[in-house]
Amino acid sequence: MKQRPMLTLEDCKKITAAAEAEARRNNWNVCIAILDDGGHLLHLARMDGATPANSRIAVEKGRTAAETRRSTANWQERVAKRTELLRMPGVTPVQGGLPIVVDGTCVGGVGISGVQSHEDEQIAAAGIKALG
Amino acid sequence: MKRIAVAVAFAACALGAAAQQPPAAGQNPRDVVPDKMPFDVPYGAPVSLDRAQAAINAAVAESKKRGWKMNVAVVDSGANLVAFARMDGAQLGSIAIAEHKARAAAKFRRETKLFESGIQEGNLHYLLTLDDVIASRGGILIIDNGQIAGAVGCSGGTGSQDEVACKAAIEAVTKR
Repeated sequence: MKQRPMLTLEDCKKITAAAEAEARRNNWNVCIAILDDGGHLLHLARMDGATPANSRIAVEKGRTAAETRRSTANWQERVAKRTELLRMPGVTPVQGGLPIVVDGTCVGGVGISGVQSHEDEQIAAAGIKALG
Repeated sequence: MKRIAVAVAFAACALGAAAQQPPAAGQNPRDVVPDKMPFDVPYGAPVSLDRAQAAINAAVAESKKRGWKMNVAVVDSGANLVAFARMDGAQLGSIAIAEHKARAAAKFRRETKLFESGIQEGNLHYLLTLDDVIASRGGILIIDNGQIAGAVGCSGGTGSQDEVACKAAIEAVTKR
């Protein structure tokens, strides 16, 4: 039988704490969303000062990364060259979403929204790094 | 007849109706015009992330103690998601339900249990036609000094289990 790793609530708390610390260090207020490999929400934290829109956008970036197994920055680059990719269903092609890959398997995605897109991704990367 | 009596009781409670003016025999209880607005709780400052997470931690701790697997959502006073957590093994369908319960509590300024009892005991089926209602207990307001700061929604078990987890969350973050 094939086995697959799964994110636990403890893992989510670790990722969120590290992402939040990265944001705080830079004085950024963002929303941090973590989704499982099926694109279902596992954990969300919207820092004080982040907007309602940040919640929605963070979830959608995380979902895109989790379901497509690639970063939303990659989607952004490809959309820039091939506009027709904007029609891909369920894809939010804006940097700030990263897949969480464990032993070569995508176990979910992290989506960040609140600051510049490349800064959002920096926060997402800091969060995933905490998984070890 | 008994049903009507219950319906009247709920309408009086739900609408904060003028109890001094019970409907006359044969009158539609919903035709009664109360003096005051029901559930007239002002929307206040939004709940902070720290408190939202404290609420979630309390609901998760209570559920863990009982061996339950919950989804817990916290919205702010604008009914927008602030924090969410899915416990290991909690069912996927309850992700949206947990948020919906919290959102509905904030939007309608009352516990979602009132929708459930209004429909079940009060026979007020029209409640189901109102926008974004969810008629299931487990969505409760966070009130600060008489103003709405946000709401907690729990889902994953029976309504009664959801409510226990939800109350633990509210208890943990209510200012005394």
